[in-house]
Amino acid sequence: MHNGTIQATEIWKRFRADSRATYLQDEISRVVNRIKGKSSNGWRWVLQDIEIYSEPGSSLGLVGANGSGKSTLLKILTQVMYPTAGRVNVAGRVGSLIELRAGMHPNLTGRENIYLTGSLMGLKRRRVAERFDKIVAFAELESAIDRQVKYYSSGMQMRLGFGVAAFLEPDVLLVDEVLAVGDAVFQQRCLDRMRDVLNQGTTLTLVSHDLAAVEATCREGIWLHDGEIREQGPIRDVLGAYRRWVEADAETAQHVAGRIEVRAEAAPADGGVIRTHETLELTLRVTSSTEYDAWFYLGVSEGTASPVFVINRFARLARGETELRCSVANLPVPQGRYYLWLAADVRGEAGPEGEELLAWQPVCEFDVFGPELDWPPRAVVRLAPVCVNASWSVEHG
Amino acid sequence: MLDGLDDAATPAAVRPATPARERAAEPRPEIRFRRRIGLRTALEDAWRSRELVLTLAERDLRVRYRQALLGFAWALFTPVMLMLVFTFVFAKFAQIKTPGVPYPLFAYVGLLPWTLFSASVSAGGMSLVANLSILNRVYCPREVFPIATIVVAAVDTAISLFVLAILFVVTGFTPKLETLYAPLFLPALLAFTLGITLAISALLVYLRDLRHALPLLIQFGLFATPVAYGISVFVKSTKQLLVYSAVNPLAPVIDGLRRTVLLGQNPEWDALAVGTASAFVVLSLGYWLFKRLETGIADIA
Repeated sequence: MHNGTIQATEIWKRFRADSRATYLQDEISRVVNRIKGKSSNGWRWVLQDIEIYSEPGSSLGLVGANGSGKSTLLKILTQVMYPTAGRVNVAGRVGSLIELRAGMHPNLTGRENIYLTGSLMGLKRRRVAERFDKIVAFAELESAIDRQVKYYSSGMQMRLGFGVAAFLEPDVLLVDEVLAVGDAVFQQRCLDRMRDVLNQGTTLTLVSHDLAAVEATCREGIWLHDGEIREQGPIRDVLGAYRRWVEADAETAQHVAGRIEVRAEAAPADGGVIRTHETLELTLRVTSSTEYDAWFYLGVSEGTASPVFVINRFARLARGETELRCSVANLPVPQGRYYLWLAADVRGEAGPEGEELLAWQPVCEFDVFGPELDWPPRAVVRLAPVCVNASWSVEHG
Repeated sequence: MLDGLDDAATPAAVRPATPARERAAEPRPEIRFRRRIGLRTALEDAWRSRELVLTLAERDLRVRYRQALLGFAWALFTPVMLMLVFTFVFAKFAQIKTPGVPYPLFAYVGLLPWTLFSASVSAGGMSLVANLSILNRVYCPREVFPIATIVVAAVDTAISLFVLAILFVVTGFTPKLETLYAPLFLPALLAFTLGITLAISALLVYLRDLRHALPLLIQFGLFATPVAYGISVFVKSTKQLLVYSAVNPLAPVIDGLRRTVLLGQNPEWDALAVGTASAFVVLSLGYWLFKRLETGIADIA
């Protein structure tokens, strides 16, 4: 196998159901229970039959809800944790950033920590020394490198951790949720660095809840759900499926009753299907028991609560039913499934935000047909999909 | 036991219409992960990690001596203090007789191997627990952590040898020619220390309350070992000596050091052989236990 190949076949992993620090008394009671014949079905599977194959230089994004097994899988790939069943083969040197501040010894200086991690990764001191300045520059720790790590801010520890993992020539880089902690500037530099190591042929596996960052960085994706692979393939397909599930989950879980009731419908202007750059007709049928001077907020989202765009409008509600129509000309989103989110409130006496009539929640879904979005360069995070008409001209001079 | 778990956790509406393949509730038994420990691969692994062991040992030394103003004096502190206490308690009150040898010297020669052992076990026993953040991040053979603490303890012991030299000068006592036998005691001492340290370090990860008992156990070990007094306190016959040496391999080491360095006698070869064999049995068992428990460390940490 070439360095940088990740191969994991039929990975199963189970934990004790009561996973916590164990004490002698727990072990004793466990043994006593076993002798008494009480079966303790104290196991739960956290990973079931996982297959992964990554070629050198490929990039894999792992997404999924909390507790779906992403971090466990990453730990198994690091070979820090052993699977209950299955085979893992990761060829080459592994750089990993699995837990925040992980692996940094608080009583050592930043400098000593860099050398320690280097030798943990199996590098000779000389090789670490060659990369030392780059790491320090990346982590922006020039003035603090000879200070003990326990006096670092959490951001400094994070920068050092990522710098060490990403600059010590790993063949495989495993990253778990770094982007969540750093500030915006650091996030972008992490993404840039991941792009650089990918270009150098390092294999990347990234776990993140920042779907846009995963989409920007990874080509392949896996969506884990309850320890099983729900979707595997090109990152866009995987993220699309995951977003739809998040939405479906939100719809069942989040439907909050308000003081008014709304039924919403999305339709094209002229029958047929909804198309990019054509007109979208939104109809809201509102039932209210009182008259309200209400503001309506409509948002179109890819699945999460963060919308691509928002439009709002004042409307006077009569007692009984009121029908609102909104026509969005030149719909700017590309092909895909979208969700209409809605909120309503009364402004005025209750303060600038007003009194809530209806909480922000999804009310209906619709499919849009049209062009695919163009790819951004690698490691550039696109915030929301907006489809624009562009005309090009290329001249050779 | 897993039936229904799947259905309960996910709304039926979002499940793919046709699953790629039917998933079993449990992995096939033949792919179950089994830990295989070959002696050769284990030794190769450990040898490859030698630089890591030294880095970790250096780290521990740096941390310790950075925090402590007195620096390397701390290495001498434990054996010297114990020697003074023993001299006061055992030589003055209990009137222990050490014919031909000044008692402080007698005690100190016993304390050197004992301190190596007890420092290794108490620091090495905690080494996995203390380094969990590293263990959960990078793969490396886990035995490097306990081994590194033994290296640190060995450095401390080497420093303590200076005090021994000073004691010889102060008491005007000359070590005997048989001191040349001293290296023969090292295998038993190191194997026993390593075996116990490995076993305890892995056990402490699982049984965290045991760490409170550890100092007590070491304390107990101190009195079950002929450190403050001669081996004759424990054994009256050759047979007893052999049994005792098998149970406590530190006994023939300490007694042997005193016989050779202080008394100019030959070691008790039988006792030393039994002790060394027993120490290597302990090492094998400790290493086996360590490797068995090692696989689950990341699960519970």
